[in-house]
Amino acid sequence: MSEILEQISTAVIEGDVGEIKDLTEDALDEDLSAEEILDKGLTPGMDYVGVEFKAGNMFVPEVLRSAKTMQLSMDILKPLLAESGVEMVGKVLLGTVKGDLHDIGKNLVGMMCEGAGFEIKDLGRNVEPEAFVQAVRDFEPNIVGMSALLTTTMRSMESTIKVLEEAGLRDKVKIMIGGAPLTQAFADQIGADGYASNAAAAADLAKKFVSA
Amino acid sequence: MRTNYVVNSGVRFQLLSDDQLQELFDGVLHLLEYTGLDVYHDEARDILEKAGAWVDGLRVRLPAYLVKDALTKAPRSFTLFARDGNPKHNIHIGPGRAHFGPGPTCPNFIDVETLKRRPYVKSDVPLVAKVCDALPNIDFVESLGTVGDVDYELGALYEFAGMFPNTSKPIVAWSYDRFDSAGIHEIAVTEAGGQEAFERRPNYVHYCEPLSPLVSTFEAVDKLIFAARHRVPLIFTPCPISGGTAPVTSAGIIIQGAAESWLGLTLAQAIQPGLPYFMGGVFSVMDMSSMILAYGAPELPLNMAALTELAHFVGLPLWQTGGVTDSKTFDEQAIIEGSMSVFFSALTGGDLCHDVGYTESAMTGSVFQLAAMDEAIGYSRRITRGIEVNEDTLAVPVIHNVGPNGHYLREKHTRRYYKNEFWYPKLCDRRNYEEWEMMGKTSFKDRTVARVQDILATHQPSAIKPETERVIEKVLAEAEERVKDHK
Repeated sequence: MSEILEQISTAVIEGDVGEIKDLTEDALDEDLSAEEILDKGLTPGMDYVGVEFKAGNMFVPEVLRSAKTMQLSMDILKPLLAESGVEMVGKVLLGTVKGDLHDIGKNLVGMMCEGAGFEIKDLGRNVEPEAFVQAVRDFEPNIVGMSALLTTTMRSMESTIKVLEEAGLRDKVKIMIGGAPLTQAFADQIGADGYASNAAAAADLAKKFVSA
Repeated sequence: MRTNYVVNSGVRFQLLSDDQLQELFDGVLHLLEYTGLDVYHDEARDILEKAGAWVDGLRVRLPAYLVKDALTKAPRSFTLFARDGNPKHNIHIGPGRAHFGPGPTCPNFIDVETLKRRPYVKSDVPLVAKVCDALPNIDFVESLGTVGDVDYELGALYEFAGMFPNTSKPIVAWSYDRFDSAGIHEIAVTEAGGQEAFERRPNYVHYCEPLSPLVSTFEAVDKLIFAARHRVPLIFTPCPISGGTAPVTSAGIIIQGAAESWLGLTLAQAIQPGLPYFMGGVFSVMDMSSMILAYGAPELPLNMAALTELAHFVGLPLWQTGGVTDSKTFDEQAIIEGSMSVFFSALTGGDLCHDVGYTESAMTGSVFQLAAMDEAIGYSRRITRGIEVNEDTLAVPVIHNVGPNGHYLREKHTRRYYKNEFWYPKLCDRRNYEEWEMMGKTSFKDRTVARVQDILATHQPSAIKPETERVIEKVLAEAEERVKDHK
């Protein structure tokens, strides 16, 4: 492996947001392809971060810094990847459902999924079912992630799924849900494809959905 | 003759100096005046603007004089009354008095028969209330759960309707919205004998929860307005998470959370001057590995002690937190985390300490954790009661009379004091090995389970009035009618 790819991996692991853009440009100057930089530089770095996080050796703020580092590199690589026809891992549409203003968990999911290589569109909080539908049409995500903290607002997930069905879009996306009062049983009951108990598990679930 | 003789019989505990408290106080006032909060309620913003707040869109900023004025209006001492007039069940809020009780809204519950974790249901409510009613160191009542097997909008109403007849200790009522609040209030007022009688002897406290960072949601403020207009004592309790929805530092989370709470205070005092008001709530850390709000973290009791001192510094009572654990089961972790926070809370004299009985980081309520903590609270209260030093307790003549090589077992002095000087455990075992073996070699957990089951089999809470029973039925029927279009 070339030295520059190793440096890119290290920059991701260390969350070196100051250096990553230059390193990415340098790698491209060395005639490495965007795909190589992604597969052999960024992804091995994030994989290492994932393992260390699960082992309890790295913590959320460090993981988010690594994800941000990867993101800065991806901003440069994305157009090049698109040109050469390389597909991104996938797209995730996120939102806290109607009636609910709690969004720290959903934000964490977004950052974790970004770190896993997904393109994210975050609709924010208090998102109407119709807004999800419109965004599924425009953004064409592989996965829709819905979040709720309240036992009252978690019901909006069910109505959002219904509206997606009525719009004929349900089969085009995998739906994952999360939030403190939620359970796998609730996910099954409302016809979601999956439930994740925390942000790291959500990123894993998203990866599973797109590789299936 | 001794005059103005100061007796420091209780334990003295202080975390922060007066200078530190003044800095925290100034920090809160600065946040409220310069940053402000978003208030998602038109009427609330109008009321605050009329009172002197600066309103710009959703954003409300409070000049310091307005906040200080609200602080002078809220009482430091008042009484919450038992619905049946039982003086032992009254709660006197005031300096040096710590009270304890459970918390609301856990989605799961440890079944009292199978001891297994499962979703919380309607029939759990009376059991929790009964256990609280019987436990000597539990002073107020919440349900330890969100009722999952009724229409999703009616959980809070069924919760209150299930608790009220099964305990006469004051209840802290959580609710979803103004409809719940009105139903709850109608039940409580009927029992009290009308609105005026209720205002003189309030038998429940209303609980509202704003959102961190710096948001007063529509529901939180709407319920506050209802409670303030009906003169229901009020808790306005944020749950900021250090590192996530609040600064990572203790001083930072304290001033942000206090600012969130004092927005509610200023609104409540503008509507109902003199309304009894507790600032809250749960100030802990985000675990940076599991991403949960850690209830068992040492930062929780530490932050809560600092918050209690800030509350008392400005003359407010505090909604404390303790007796909680992140453990998933009834084990050593549950007891260590629960007992440490309970003891720390008792030391601070934080006025109502809630969430006793929370396990799994507030995801599962457990009456067994609650009963175990009743023991820890008793233990803590014995320590915080301190040592009384006077001529009689010094026992100089008693020691002189017994002399070298005597014993104290037959002394009048011993008989006079042994019941109050010593604390008697209900669950901790002090028998010798042979007796313990003979009694079935029980563990602390075995004895806790047995005590809870014994209470459930034998304890009879005092009954509510027949007219209150009818009002409960009426309120529930009306509520069911309101939501009948839900599938």
